[in-house]
Amino acid sequence: MTKQQPLIQVKNLHLYFGSFHALKNVSVDFNAGELIGLVGDNGAGKTTLIRVLCGIHAPTKGQVFFDGKKVERFHPKLAIDQGIETIQQSVGLCDNLSIARNFYLGREPVKRVFGIPFLDLGKMRAKSSRIIRQFGLRENVSADDEVEMLSGGERQSIKIGRAVEFKNRVVIMDEPTNHLSVREREHVNELAVQLKEQGLLVIYITHDIFQVHKLADRIVIMENGEKVADANTDSMSAEALEDVIRQGGRMVEKREAV
Amino acid sequence: MALSAAKPLIRRHTEIGIFLIGAILIVIFASTSDGRWANLYNIGTIMQVTATLGLMSLGVAIVIGTGEIDISVGSTFGMGALAYLWLAARVDPAIAAIAAIAVGAAIGYLNGLLITRTRTPSLIITLGTLMIFRGISIALTDGFSFSIPYAARKGWSYFLLGGGDLLGFNTALFWLIGAFAVLIMVLKTMPFGNRLLAVGGSAESAHSRGVRVDRIKLSAFVVCGILAAFAGALEAGKLGFADGSMGRLMELQSIASCVLGGCLLAGGRISLIGALMGAFVLSSIQSYLVVTGVQPQWFILILGVIVVAAAYGDKSLRQWAIKR
Amino acid sequence: MNHFVRSQGFGATVGVIAMLAVFTVIDFSGWWTAQTISNVTQFTAILALVALGQALVIMTKEIDLSVGSIYGLTGVAFITLEPTLGVSGSLIAALLIAATAGFVQGVAVVKGRLPSMIVTLGGLFAARGIIYVWTGGSVHNFSADARSHALTRMLGGELFGIAAAIYWVTLIAVLLAIMLWGTRFGNRLLATGGNRESAVSRGVRTDSVKTAAFVLCSLLAGFAGILTLCNRPQTHVTLGENMELEAISAAVIGGCLLTGGRGSILGVILGALIVVSFRYELIALGAPSSWYITFVGAVLIVAVIFNQKLARFIGHSV
Repeated sequence: MTKQQPLIQVKNLHLYFGSFHALKNVSVDFNAGELIGLVGDNGAGKTTLIRVLCGIHAPTKGQVFFDGKKVERFHPKLAIDQGIETIQQSVGLCDNLSIARNFYLGREPVKRVFGIPFLDLGKMRAKSSRIIRQFGLRENVSADDEVEMLSGGERQSIKIGRAVEFKNRVVIMDEPTNHLSVREREHVNELAVQLKEQGLLVIYITHDIFQVHKLADRIVIMENGEKVADANTDSMSAEALEDVIRQGGRMVEKREAV
Repeated sequence: MALSAAKPLIRRHTEIGIFLIGAILIVIFASTSDGRWANLYNIGTIMQVTATLGLMSLGVAIVIGTGEIDISVGSTFGMGALAYLWLAARVDPAIAAIAAIAVGAAIGYLNGLLITRTRTPSLIITLGTLMIFRGISIALTDGFSFSIPYAARKGWSYFLLGGGDLLGFNTALFWLIGAFAVLIMVLKTMPFGNRLLAVGGSAESAHSRGVRVDRIKLSAFVVCGILAAFAGALEAGKLGFADGSMGRLMELQSIASCVLGGCLLAGGRISLIGALMGAFVLSSIQSYLVVTGVQPQWFILILGVIVVAAAYGDKSLRQWAIKR
Repeated sequence: MNHFVRSQGFGATVGVIAMLAVFTVIDFSGWWTAQTISNVTQFTAILALVALGQALVIMTKEIDLSVGSIYGLTGVAFITLEPTLGVSGSLIAALLIAATAGFVQGVAVVKGRLPSMIVTLGGLFAARGIIYVWTGGSVHNFSADARSHALTRMLGGELFGIAAAIYWVTLIAVLLAIMLWGTRFGNRLLATGGNRESAVSRGVRTDSVKTAAFVLCSLLAGFAGILTLCNRPQTHVTLGENMELEAISAAVIGGCLLTGGRGSILGVILGALIVVSFRYELIALGAPSSWYITFVGAVLIVAVIFNQKLARFIGHSV
């Protein structure tokens, strides 16, 4: 486990938005088959870090290695092609399109007729119907229904189903249980653990340390754009980690594990 | 009861509204004009006007689909007409039409580039280019009009590019049908169409799925410019002459057609057939005013009112349909 | 200094200084002559009035494309109604027409929840259509009596060799500045444009604020039309055509962000000065008048892009 090469390695990452220093010298390793809780208060930089990993922002300084290779260009398309799937709070589904069309958005399967790429609508429907059953959507929802009609939990299920379907290696979940009912929240958390057990790297972002401590193997805490703690869940209790957050990471040096 | 059963249908097909309006207007116009409106010659005229307006409206609908707007189409139409006429008098009309299309593509590319590179509202940019190219076309014609000598108004390519009738209808109508068929196929059955609507629905979501949002928007503007300029070429082919004011108010008419036809200005939901029906309704109204002898100036006034009323009607219909 | 650079009028101020420097060095038309200056300032005053109204609407994060037509319609109403209502009567009637037009559009925007762009695009054509239908394309004139009426002279005459319009625009600009930065209404107007949800949550009736902005905008455009006609009392159907573009350009050059909530009264007036001066130079250079339309379009695009870049550089989210 310790000798294994990390799947994603972030080294001395800096990111500026104009004059705002959003990420300050962040270094962190992510291994395959791990469920990592990325925790921090609002504006701590956790979402920004994730946006670099999934190609939305390019870092100002520092490197990102994926599978041992340095990442040179940052674009969501490239990240998705590498197998990094992000499940974001409000982004990812277009309300005006059907489930099937959303499911394959950006990498639609095509059938070529005289070299012209036509959508393989049959395949899109069949596959997405199967996934929406498997991930527990209402019985009366069909793949042709517009996403606008779905509940928050159903939307998350579709996004997670999409991650499984495309055989991803990394699934990043950005506050996946926000605005969900208790039952839907448990369902989503179960899905996260399932993904990990299939050998994927799951990065679970939340500000609720207690919720993620139950699921995760490792917790990384961000504060003010810096990494302030990085500890295995079996070596530190949720209460101890909460203290770290509360004190703004002033005890980092002492507590740093791994 | 029957109405609430129709809700899911209307939710998916907001163009139903314009078809109802169209049907009602046809009945009213036909019954109140002593046959001056509903005769084959007049219908042919309406179809010719619908054809050029419809081509522009298709392009505008595509741009609206991405959540942007293009109001420079009136000037693009005029530039296309001038390019076609200037060249058709010298070389084969087919080459002239290609040149007109190239002009349209260039204007569309300029619009798209300015909008996507600088992230400026498309309304302002295309308002600017509307003026820029209107000024240029007035300066080019310098008060005179471009025309093709009568002797040159012959040959297959001139005939096919709006210069003649086929089966009783101006050839422009067949171009419109062709363009409609191609666009509906791209929109409904190709990845590009899926991505285009996704960009309009939520550019952020589309971007997160790896869709190159700027490239999609840029292509939409180019398509819009091409269609507008080609419509201008067809109109010029029909008339045989054009001056610098050609295409004035056409931008408003084509936006009105789209809104009437159930295209959502916020993007993501458009109906090409609805936009065409909208163009037909506007052409019919215009023709009705002409055949009943009403001052043509009334059309500007009516057009202005129709745009707002259509936007409001479409919004209300949609809200009603979404309510469960 | 830093404060000044960050203020919304900064771009326009730099623009005016640069422009005046260039026109002084490359002097085609006798720039610093009394004739030129009086013409340019007079036209600037008229355009500034329209642009100030536009700026108010832009600050609430809406746009008004109808100002050119409202300018024309009010002017036409003023002249056409004068024989029946007299100068003061027709002045009030014309301003009422303008206010009504603004009110109807404002209500359509806020109650109908429609994009202001579409509503006012409709308004642009509806008002222009009314001008055509009403005048039938004919030209109207003031009678000699009306021309010498005290009110006409007050609105269109001169005082100490300076056109009346300049006094009016100064007065209105001061009033608007006091309203914007010194009253509750002004605060609410800026809040409405800056962050509508927050304004609503603080109990601001944003619908009323927006409607008021549309009414003020149309009133100012109409008043500008009346000032123009008092100076040269002759109507034509194209009166005010394309003026919406000039007004938007002036407002944008003057630092109004299209994302709402920010603007500068002084900036808008300087913006109007830039637009008018360039038009004057273009005509002086002997360019065909049609190039002027092209020029306004280009200025609009350049101004929007420049302002946006400046705002992003300063650190506003645009």
